[in-house]
Amino acid sequence: MNRRHFLKKASWGSFCGAVTVAIASNDEGWHPPTRFIRPDISTDEGGLWAMLDREETKLRRSPFIIRDESLQSYVTGIACRLAGDHCPDIRVRLVRNKLFNANMTPNGMLQVWSGLLLRIDNEAQLAAVLGHEIAHYFEKHGVDRLRDLKARSAFGHLLGMFGLVGLVGQVAALASMFAYSRDQERQADRIGLTLMSKAGYDPAEASKVWENLLVEANAKTDANTSPMFAMHPPMNERKEALTHLAAQLPKGEIYEQRWQEKTANYRCEWLDDEIKRGQFEESIALLSRLIVRSPSQSDFFYARAETYRMRAKDEDFDTAINDYMAAIRLGDEPPETHRGLGMIYRQRNQFQEAKVCFEKYLKLAPQAADYSIIKSYSEEPSA
Amino acid sequence: MRKMAHVFVLACAFLLSGCVSVIKVAPGERTVGEHLQISLKGAWNHIDAPAMCGPHCQVWTMEGLPIDQLLIYSGLENDQPIHADSGQSSLKAFRFRSGMQPDQIVALFEGLLTRNGSTFKLTKLEQIPFAGTKGFHFEFKLIRKTDNVELLGTGTATESKGTLFAIVYQAPRLMFYPKHQANVADIINSAKIK
Repeated sequence: MNRRHFLKKASWGSFCGAVTVAIASNDEGWHPPTRFIRPDISTDEGGLWAMLDREETKLRRSPFIIRDESLQSYVTGIACRLAGDHCPDIRVRLVRNKLFNANMTPNGMLQVWSGLLLRIDNEAQLAAVLGHEIAHYFEKHGVDRLRDLKARSAFGHLLGMFGLVGLVGQVAALASMFAYSRDQERQADRIGLTLMSKAGYDPAEASKVWENLLVEANAKTDANTSPMFAMHPPMNERKEALTHLAAQLPKGEIYEQRWQEKTANYRCEWLDDEIKRGQFEESIALLSRLIVRSPSQSDFFYARAETYRMRAKDEDFDTAINDYMAAIRLGDEPPETHRGLGMIYRQRNQFQEAKVCFEKYLKLAPQAADYSIIKSYSEEPSA
Repeated sequence: MRKMAHVFVLACAFLLSGCVSVIKVAPGERTVGEHLQISLKGAWNHIDAPAMCGPHCQVWTMEGLPIDQLLIYSGLENDQPIHADSGQSSLKAFRFRSGMQPDQIVALFEGLLTRNGSTFKLTKLEQIPFAGTKGFHFEFKLIRKTDNVELLGTGTATESKGTLFAIVYQAPRLMFYPKHQANVADIINSAKIK
């Protein structure tokens, strides 16, 4: 397992890689630590930071980074409200990846994937995720885990062979195979909620993140595990525990409108990534939830229609037509709405209806990559 | 560049592990599978590894994997995946279904190529004659997740008697794609279904 793989998969505070059990009590009396000083390179923690710094440099240059100053500063602002004095030490990296994930490394890099951003309903839910990650960072759970691994007898032997700093890479890679302890996860949930609450967010939103994911997880009809949930803990437990704890904290703001505005420019791209994931049942569950949440947004109807059309089972075309029509009725629909509708009509030999749809699409999207093929469809003799 | 080296080492390890063999495909008339006939002006390397893309597909390369890759599908049947069974239940299987529209077939390849987190952008989709049938051609950009290399790709496909025939090529944008693009176009233009 290479180091980037380690960073991706795992774990130094992976919000979704956690195993949580019921939260028993609030963390009254908990205070954030003072800002961390860069550990000496000769220490295990210093070696780990150095390795993670190199990984961060690679990630920063990666084409998968979402380079949008406005969105970046917005999410960083949320992280800063949660992290308080530690704000200057935290670097948010938004990554285009269709899966749901966020993680924070001990050196202060906080990765958030676009698949998670698509699934978040409001600022408070994102604060719940970030708060949990920051809690792992505050409590140095990643470093604790590294030391725990080193203490295992099998690693003692390797330590003798490679020396302390040289071993950090190997240990860190192996560390990704281990989840945080239940106690650490419980603590991160507890502290995360406290941070949220202190920052003025409604802690009740934390459990909704898991409630929403459960809807997707339960939508799977085959025995295969989706990659979205392959590394997830029992979500029911987590949801219930967070609900219980949030009830003990004061209510706060959720900032849904602001969240929707700040992410609006990316919604189409993230929805497109979701459709192409090919996990149709999960996508339909997600999009149905988003439609209930935001019934006036045509792009959600369009995306669900596309998913049904791509799945093409039984009554899917009829359902897709209804959704395409709903998107058109709402207005401001993506041009592809007309293409998708036309494709279904064409497959049903309703050529006149298909022609009208294709012409509308060509008018709205003259630069489209598939302009040529759609134009040829609109000119078919049978049309 | 280091990532590229890692991918290269992994590919070499795979090739040398005894799972696969590399066979020279000499210029001339060649038949892929039972039904697809093509004409080659230059030699290619056939990576003989059914575990890479399944029994109805062959993987060829000019420069060596993972630099460039030519996938040739000859008569992939209804409900068959366009890839080999990975054995990983968490990975989505992308299956061809008879009657699929061109955009749905492109979506299959997009799904396959982005399973590892790579990003795919379709840049062209048009109808063209292929292998004596009414086929389609598509072009795409791919940023490969494993090494962040930007690739360009092209695919041409058709459905004949309910089965899929397709030739899909991808290579790094800066040097190898332009170098072999014409070669691939010649292969596509020469294709016939027997």
